[in-house]
Amino acid sequence: MKIAGIGLVFAQGLGMGALETALNRGWVPPQEVEAPHIPGGKTPAYLVNLEALPDRSVLKKIRRSDKLSKMSVLAAADALRDCGIADITKRKLGLIVATAFGPHVTTFGFLDDILDHGDAAVSPTTFSNSVHNAAASYVCNSLGINGPTLTITQFRFSFQAALQLAQTWIDQGRCDYVLAGVVDQYGDVLGYVADHKLTTAKDGKIKPFTFKPTCQIPGEGAAFFLLGRENRGNIYCGIDAVHTGQAPDRGKPEDLTIIDADGMLPDETMYRGCLSPDVPAAAYAPLFGSMMIGSAFNTAAGALMIKKQLLFATPVADNPAGIRLLVENGPASVASILCAGYNCYSERSEILLTKV
Amino acid sequence: MIMNESIQITGLGVVSAAGLDLAAALLSFEQGVRNAGPVSLFPTVMHYPVFEVKHLPPEYRLEGWRTLSLACIAVDQALKEAELGDVSGLRVGVCLGTTVASQLNDLEFYRSYRKGKTESMAAVDRFLKGNLSEYIARRIGARGPQLTVVNACSSGTDAIGVALSWVKSGLCDIAIAGGSDELNHVPYCGFASLGIANQELCAPFDRDRKGLNLGEGAGVLIIEKRSSALLRGKASDLFLAGYGSSNDAYHLTAPSPEGVGLRASFITAMREAGIEPQQVGFVNTHGTGTHDNDLVEGKVMADLFGPGLKMLSTKGYTGHTLAAAGGLEAVYTAAGLRAGWIPASAGFRTRDEAIPMAPVQEKTLIKASYAISTSMAFGGNNAALVIGREAGL
Repeated sequence: MKIAGIGLVFAQGLGMGALETALNRGWVPPQEVEAPHIPGGKTPAYLVNLEALPDRSVLKKIRRSDKLSKMSVLAAADALRDCGIADITKRKLGLIVATAFGPHVTTFGFLDDILDHGDAAVSPTTFSNSVHNAAASYVCNSLGINGPTLTITQFRFSFQAALQLAQTWIDQGRCDYVLAGVVDQYGDVLGYVADHKLTTAKDGKIKPFTFKPTCQIPGEGAAFFLLGRENRGNIYCGIDAVHTGQAPDRGKPEDLTIIDADGMLPDETMYRGCLSPDVPAAAYAPLFGSMMIGSAFNTAAGALMIKKQLLFATPVADNPAGIRLLVENGPASVASILCAGYNCYSERSEILLTKV
Repeated sequence: MIMNESIQITGLGVVSAAGLDLAAALLSFEQGVRNAGPVSLFPTVMHYPVFEVKHLPPEYRLEGWRTLSLACIAVDQALKEAELGDVSGLRVGVCLGTTVASQLNDLEFYRSYRKGKTESMAAVDRFLKGNLSEYIARRIGARGPQLTVVNACSSGTDAIGVALSWVKSGLCDIAIAGGSDELNHVPYCGFASLGIANQELCAPFDRDRKGLNLGEGAGVLIIEKRSSALLRGKASDLFLAGYGSSNDAYHLTAPSPEGVGLRASFITAMREAGIEPQQVGFVNTHGTGTHDNDLVEGKVMADLFGPGLKMLSTKGYTGHTLAAAGGLEAVYTAAGLRAGWIPASAGFRTRDEAIPMAPVQEKTLIKASYAISTSMAFGGNNAALVIGREAGL
């Protein structure tokens, strides 16, 4: 299948233009956000500022929704706009929303209701928005998507699972196109949990190639991909393979390996297993933050590089293991890129992007 | 790769308030037993009756993981019927739906967090290790694709539909699919706040219906290619013939009054199965007992199948088990086809003139090769499964 459009929202803006700017600019420090339960009362994070985004008109109808849903709608609408196919919602269009943690901020808001006001005095609106598939519902309602609609969660491999399913829906004719995306939101509680269980980068830098010890900076955002078989739209590249667990030997090396390492595992040495001295490596988590759904943002970066035949340097190049890193931006012949990730059980995932 | 090989259902597993296994549930159905009562699993000032699973077998009691416990019971039953012991050498996928197990909504953890006294991360660790499909896959050693569907009340049906796509596409040869949910304090408060929880026992499709009762349970199917089953020396009379899913794109919590998505789901599922409406022996409906759900569902079915269609809601025996509902009801639908009867739709007494059809009011014999199980959900999701039975096997 092919990527015919990409939409995203992350700490550095909305859309592939914002991503390209971020890739060109390289690392920027995270914000300092209030974190009442973390020692010092603040923590670094890459958060989305919805108010600062240039075009939020699509949000007018969903004012009562939470930030998770708003980010989803913005990114999904951006993907459809990016594809440029005028009649896209008239086609058999499916939706898959993948999330590691869902609307946890709203869920904790509902728990506040229970604890503060009692079982019988809670808000139905808060409850409705705390359901995992609320974001998908807002996307469908806002964009007029009537096809199969699924919200899924598989922690670190949520995005990969969405791509695998999108492929089957397209192959089997259930859909002409699938809008498959990811979304996750930062919140005080998960920020506290991440700080408690992991190491937060004091200097504001995620160092994906340090491997151990690791450090994280929480991120948030949404990234949606319009996937189909046709040669219509704003084609970025093909997705030739998606594997979780075991991947077959492909025989020939790719032009770049992007790894999902982002400090969300205390030990990321397993990433050495997917790196080769013959292939340069990069990791873009320092641009958008640590997220279990970070694969989608790395995949968006890979797709952009294939489309534009450009390479973008890995933004933080701390490299004690002497990995061959991509350290310069510039034009290049890019035929294929491998995006590799690992979960907490050291199981591997691969997404293979190829030039169409 | 798209293949047209029949997808067999080789195992069924189910646990609910109606019974700890399928045989016990069918007995409850036949005798019209409704095992509802007050909440015992958590303290609450509210008095909405619920359908709890009593007497959970001790070997399945996982502290803080009731949804996983219920899923394990159903999975083990289904694996046993499918005669699948060690699955490590097989290509087995796991696709299960849940609502509760996907959320870090532990009230005690959150209460201590608010007080700034959070020393134990046990609730967080349980959550991070408790992804339903991942947990089941690791428990049995399944190495195929894993996916946890969180599509609210259609999750179980959608999970089975996803598994059908996986097996048809060759992503795996065998799939464990269904849904599981425990009765939990948070949705109990949530459904009450929406004004759709019933102070009495639910009465799906009844004129005087006043809402739903929550329940808990798990329902699981083992599906596999016929060739896979034959290779293992396994034959089954049941098969999964089609799946349809469609979104209303209408409202976060209310169904489209015209049932746009439900109608499309029925049609898509029947098209995949290659059948016409008149071949459908009965429909096991979503049938929650809420005013809008039953009205929309009844209208759509009457229009598509005619008012004479045999239909029922098994939620009168199980309560609304949220993500488990699609799994439970798929199992009960398959069992109805196999046994040749469906039970009276519990709670129904008086026909609603606004609904152009009524559910069956007594044990009803079924002589058909196909039946449909449907789900409707928050978010405008609708899903339908066509289940078939080959006579003579």
